[in-house]
Amino acid sequence: MFYQILVNGLIAGAIYALVAAGFSLIYSTVKFVHFAHGGVIALSAYMLYLFYSMLGLPFWLAAIVAILSGSIFGVAIDYFIYRPLRKRRASPTIILVASVSVLLLLESFNLIFFGADVKSINFLDIGTGLTLGPVIITSLQIFIVASSISLLILLFAFMKYTKMGKAMRAVADNKSVAEIVGISSERIYTWSFALGSLIAGFAAVLIALEQNIEPTMGTALMIKGFTASIIGGVESVAGGVLGAFLLGLAENLGIWWLPSSYKDAIAFVILFIFLLFRPEGILGVKKSNK
Amino acid sequence: MLTIKNLKAGYFSGPDILHDVDIEVRPGEIVSLIGPNGAGKSTVLRSIFGQTDIRAGSIKFIETELVGLPTHSLINLGISFVPQGRQIFGTMTVHENLEMGAFTQKDKNLIKQNIEGIFKRFPILREKSNQNASNLSGGQQQILAIARALMQNPKLLLMDEPSLGLSPKAMHEIFEVIQEINKEGVMILIVEQNARAAVEISNRTYLLEMGKVALEGGSDILKDEKVKKIYFGRD
Repeated sequence: MFYQILVNGLIAGAIYALVAAGFSLIYSTVKFVHFAHGGVIALSAYMLYLFYSMLGLPFWLAAIVAILSGSIFGVAIDYFIYRPLRKRRASPTIILVASVSVLLLLESFNLIFFGADVKSINFLDIGTGLTLGPVIITSLQIFIVASSISLLILLFAFMKYTKMGKAMRAVADNKSVAEIVGISSERIYTWSFALGSLIAGFAAVLIALEQNIEPTMGTALMIKGFTASIIGGVESVAGGVLGAFLLGLAENLGIWWLPSSYKDAIAFVILFIFLLFRPEGILGVKKSNK
Repeated sequence: MLTIKNLKAGYFSGPDILHDVDIEVRPGEIVSLIGPNGAGKSTVLRSIFGQTDIRAGSIKFIETELVGLPTHSLINLGISFVPQGRQIFGTMTVHENLEMGAFTQKDKNLIKQNIEGIFKRFPILREKSNQNASNLSGGQQQILAIARALMQNPKLLLMDEPSLGLSPKAMHEIFEVIQEINKEGVMILIVEQNARAAVEISNRTYLLEMGKVALEGGSDILKDEKVKKIYFGRD
């Protein structure tokens, strides 16, 4: 049973990690909370539904369209909503309010165009479980964990070794010095939204395969992704990923004793504990010298 | 050559900090800006770098008008800035900091060559090349900030309080480095609270007071009654 819980935690963590990685990546450079990130995930999942289930495109093609549309939605939200606000020197709080509004707008959009009923993709058969020693896992779940971890490794390599990745870290570290050495922070913001939302699109496809698609799924996912980022340290992508796996484990360990409907409550309790006692997260550094 | 004429500037919707400032840096010169706190010394530098709200006047570098240019485009004109307070990328390695200094440089061989040159001049940076910059001592961080500014082979180097918070030994070292860089033909405009040290290495000095140039002179400026009063107490 314990091993099964570990594996279930890993599967949940793999999904949360993608949500948190995209969110943290964007937060680290732009320094405001982009809650509409959840909306981008939900919209991308509906794009998969639209192109695969409704329009009948081959699954892989529909998946690529859904992933790319995530990136386009993210950049569009930045360009049409956040950038005009930045130009007027709006405070992070104002931008946060705008971001929640965009999230609600996207949810209403999903509701109007796709209806309130839950949708499912039914591309892979979820039912057949493989028995690996003490653990039962479906091939889809193995695929989710493997592709999530591969994408995260690719992301870390990108941030560590490419010039664009380094420039993103430079803006995240010290925006005014980054400008001084010739890095346009606005350009880096666009890249962060493009890359962070691409990961959101990827997460959407994996989630759509494993769970139902529903209009408010973005908010639910964003709460988990946000909690994961706070646990790990909101300024770093590595922190978000670490927090995501810990959150997945904590939730699944929790429902060993508690009814499974308490899952979300567990996430909130952890969120409050960290906000109260370690708001900078596990990997975060206390900001005193800035 | 840098020419600032009738500069009036402040921050966003705030009041004017600089009222009518004229400053010049000629080829081969080290020029220092001194003056009491709040006189607007740093604002002059930040205005050159497009980080203030410029309300009147002009800032010309060689033939290019800088007013209105975005900060990130100045580096390509040959202007580098060492901002106040040991500003480095603390979460990145020393080597990555230097690479970022050459962000707009496309020629990878030239970047390598420049990093090699920096390592020869500052062996400590080679030693700590793969460490996070936040692990360096204060003096080493300031050296890294200067080294990063040198990565683009600037014609003009702007420095905001390079000695701030450093030990006397580290400060001495930084001032030597500044003179060396200048001997290689780089114009330098330096803002300093340590007036005596700054004036000693400068060709000319401007005294700024209440957002205006109160005095301009050579190393004899230290003997002026006004300067004495500000820096060395009542006469």
